[in-house]
Amino acid sequence: MFQNTKCECGHQNPTGTVLCEACGNPLVDDLPPDSPLEMRYDGAARRSQKQNPDLIDRVWNFFSSVKVAVWLIVITLIGAALGTIYPQESSFVNLDDPAQYYKDTYGTWGMIYHFLGLSRTYESWWFIGLLVMIGTSLVICSLDRVLPLYKALSKQQVRKHLNFLRRQQTVYETTLQTEPAEWVEKFARELKRKRYRVWIDRKDGMALLAEKNRFSRWGPYINHIGLIVFLLAVLARAVPAWHMDKYVSLDEGQIKQIPDTPYYVKNEKFTVEFYSDDELPERLKGTLRPKLYETKATLYTCTADCDDPVKDPVLVPVKQHNIQVNSPLSYKGLKLYQYNYEERIRLISVKPMLVDKTNNRSYGPFELPMTDPPLTYKAGPYTLKLSDVYPDFGLDEQNRPMTKSRDPNNPAFVFVVTGPGLAAGGEMYIYFPMPSAENKKLQDQLNESFRKLGSNSGRFAFEVNGMENVSFSQYTSTLNVRVDRAMPYIWVGAAISMIGLVMGFYWQHRRIWLRIDGRALTLGAHTNKNTYGIRAEVAAALGRTGIAVEPKALDNRRNKR
Amino acid sequence: MNDWLNFSSNAFIAAFFLYCAAFIGYAIAVAGKRWSNRDPEGHAKRWGRIGFTLAALGWLAHLAFFFTRWKGGGHIPTSNMYEFMTFLGMAIMFAFIIVYLIYRKVLLGAFAVPLVIIIIAYASVFPSEVQPLIPALNSIWLKIHVTTAALGEAFFAVGFAAALVHLIRVVDYSRTDKAGRRAQFWTEFMLVVIVVVIGFLVSVFGFRAAGYEAQFRQETFRVDLQGQGETIVQTVEYGLPPIVAPYNSEKLSMDPFLGLKEPLFEAPSWMNGVNAGRKLNTIIWSLISGLILYGIMRLIARKPLAAVIHPHLDGIDPDDLDEISYRAIAIGFPVFTLGALIFAMIWAQIAWSRFWGWDPKEVWALITWLFYSAYLHLRLSRGWQGTRSAWLAVVGFIIVLFTLIGVNLVIAGLHSYAGV
Repeated sequence: MFQNTKCECGHQNPTGTVLCEACGNPLVDDLPPDSPLEMRYDGAARRSQKQNPDLIDRVWNFFSSVKVAVWLIVITLIGAALGTIYPQESSFVNLDDPAQYYKDTYGTWGMIYHFLGLSRTYESWWFIGLLVMIGTSLVICSLDRVLPLYKALSKQQVRKHLNFLRRQQTVYETTLQTEPAEWVEKFARELKRKRYRVWIDRKDGMALLAEKNRFSRWGPYINHIGLIVFLLAVLARAVPAWHMDKYVSLDEGQIKQIPDTPYYVKNEKFTVEFYSDDELPERLKGTLRPKLYETKATLYTCTADCDDPVKDPVLVPVKQHNIQVNSPLSYKGLKLYQYNYEERIRLISVKPMLVDKTNNRSYGPFELPMTDPPLTYKAGPYTLKLSDVYPDFGLDEQNRPMTKSRDPNNPAFVFVVTGPGLAAGGEMYIYFPMPSAENKKLQDQLNESFRKLGSNSGRFAFEVNGMENVSFSQYTSTLNVRVDRAMPYIWVGAAISMIGLVMGFYWQHRRIWLRIDGRALTLGAHTNKNTYGIRAEVAAALGRTGIAVEPKALDNRRNKR
Repeated sequence: MNDWLNFSSNAFIAAFFLYCAAFIGYAIAVAGKRWSNRDPEGHAKRWGRIGFTLAALGWLAHLAFFFTRWKGGGHIPTSNMYEFMTFLGMAIMFAFIIVYLIYRKVLLGAFAVPLVIIIIAYASVFPSEVQPLIPALNSIWLKIHVTTAALGEAFFAVGFAAALVHLIRVVDYSRTDKAGRRAQFWTEFMLVVIVVVIGFLVSVFGFRAAGYEAQFRQETFRVDLQGQGETIVQTVEYGLPPIVAPYNSEKLSMDPFLGLKEPLFEAPSWMNGVNAGRKLNTIIWSLISGLILYGIMRLIARKPLAAVIHPHLDGIDPDDLDEISYRAIAIGFPVFTLGALIFAMIWAQIAWSRFWGWDPKEVWALITWLFYSAYLHLRLSRGWQGTRSAWLAVVGFIIVLFTLIGVNLVIAGLHSYAGV
């Protein structure tokens, strides 16, 4: 298609130009002759309107279309909505057999949902693909428009074609009763009072351009830049070194290394509080309404012997914080969040006495920590050697002692006691520090069987005198450890986006053109948003120059109806 | 209950009645223009001013309710459904006042004020006592996030009200072609939906005032994550006569109502969500009472409700309504982005250790945002101003309501504490 892009004013326009770059006369006009002009991007030619597109141009053209962008938004929106029908797999902490779970819980529809991959909507290739396409569209749409718009706005001509003026949304025509040059001066002063920048045609002073808030035109593009930064930051979270998401469960008093870091964290104390009945309204009385979850935590860093299997690491405390649900511990990009807790009694250490049942004399006490217990203990004249530890005691199929796990749920210790009056090899006793009837029975049975085997004489027993000799943890607190190095970029992206939105939506770019031919005044005004506002402004300025007009009467759309 | 809270609930009642009075003022302003012996302009102006004054007074009472409840309850009253919906009503009123001060269109009040009345009446369906904060909500972001998000949504609500006026204003009853009939049908349908919502409120408050009660014992079978099945027995309480009983339940007690002594049928088995049977029953009651209400109105008017309102709207230009609707949404969009997405992400990062987790509430906030983004982009294209744009504004507000209420009632997720 051949398009004559030379305007009647003599200006040669690039192909695709809608409104002459110089005088604004419409070149491509598929609208009814008296309807308002299409003023988008000031009618400038865009790259996407290039003739004879090659492959790159076609891709560019595809992504530069606002229509395509809207479709992408709508498809993403529908996809996102589908993902909320049933819970996503990611919302479960551990889900061994998702297919079975969805089938059991939600029936046939749940099965179809899982089969279609909708239970992982937001990690799916098509959803991420849509987000990437939206990102591409953001870049290309913006570039395709912002450059021509910038050029068009930086070389505006003051005198415009009559067609251009008469076909703005806000239009006024009259015959001036006063001296035109004087009137133009006066009108310009009024517009300046309203913070317009005013240019008057240098040749004869019979044309005027007033403009304000041009910066608001850049709002959408700044917003798009922010969104791009945001989306890139989201993608950057996939970089392993930038991201860590681990869980550490700690009993009170327990210290643990945070995996893959030189940091150690200690749970000094965990507190859970519930509201008392007199703090609760009638309907909630008697219910457990949580008030506070708090882990008093200390963060340590390892300064020496960190990876030495023989020596204990040297730890230096670096930060103390009471971690609550809305108050994580934060140290150099590492964050510890209160995630969960469990009420689970666990012994930290006990101070038992060694009791000689033959004469009822007790020796000790000696301190027995549940984790990393030392190998030898002194109790009076006797020496106890630790021969076996079962942190989570149980019996296997052949009734042999074993440990069910490495967690100190129900520890049992096997000691070899040596000392005066005992055989050289010593006597072997098992000890369960956790006080329960079942443990007592087990302990007696096992010691009895040792006796039958000749390993001991049944002379000794262990006894803890009073709770002051027991230190235990009531709660296990689970902390979520996070490193997210992309977060600053996410917030920067969001902030840029917000600045763009505010610029674009709370200010409007307003322009007023006029020309006087003899005594005939033709005025046209354009704004990208809020035509109501610009009509009021033009009417007020005209009013102050002695031309009384109702704002409504300036509306071109209404006049034509 | 302390004195602050007593004062607060009185202020709420005062606000409610002032809004009702404001609505009557606005209705007279709009409907009474053709009454005899009157200058239409002067009449609309005078009653419009009365309506606005009453609405503004109502809003002051509403503010008093809010701040005294804050003082008396010890935390900002935006922490459960009752508090949030009343806050939303207050925010819509604020957005309306802003938009009204820009455009000075009396008609807008005639539609925005009843919307506020419906919203705060809906709020009152939920338990209104002050509940102490759970740890997750105990944060300064409860103040920042919830208020800004609600304010953004409030502007969308005003955009919706203007769009609705626009639709009723432009619907053309002389047209008999397909598109014309379609416009007539859907405009009327929107009004039917609103009447059904009113029907819901009427039935809930009617039966609550009458002290109606019914109880069921329901057994639900659930499979936990380890694949273990368990049966949970719970008591389900109804405030409306049970047309539908919960699935797999037995009646414990039931007040008779108009000879209804037994539930007519049981909810289907796939409705196994929390209180699904009761919710279905409520929907049925809302439809019944809403449709009866609508039927009565149709009988009195003898024409579609939109056709009753339509002639009173000729004082305003459709282009102005389009502009108002668009402007309200344009004002609301950055506020919504800030409150419902950015502040939400900041809080989620602090409380839940991740700024985004695809929780249903988060997703629906994103959907709302995407929808209004599409709306704003579509307005750039030719042909998407006016009626089509108005329909989008209506759909957008329905999405907002679903995000606020529907997600909590139907989907739940992490924001479930904001539910009933």
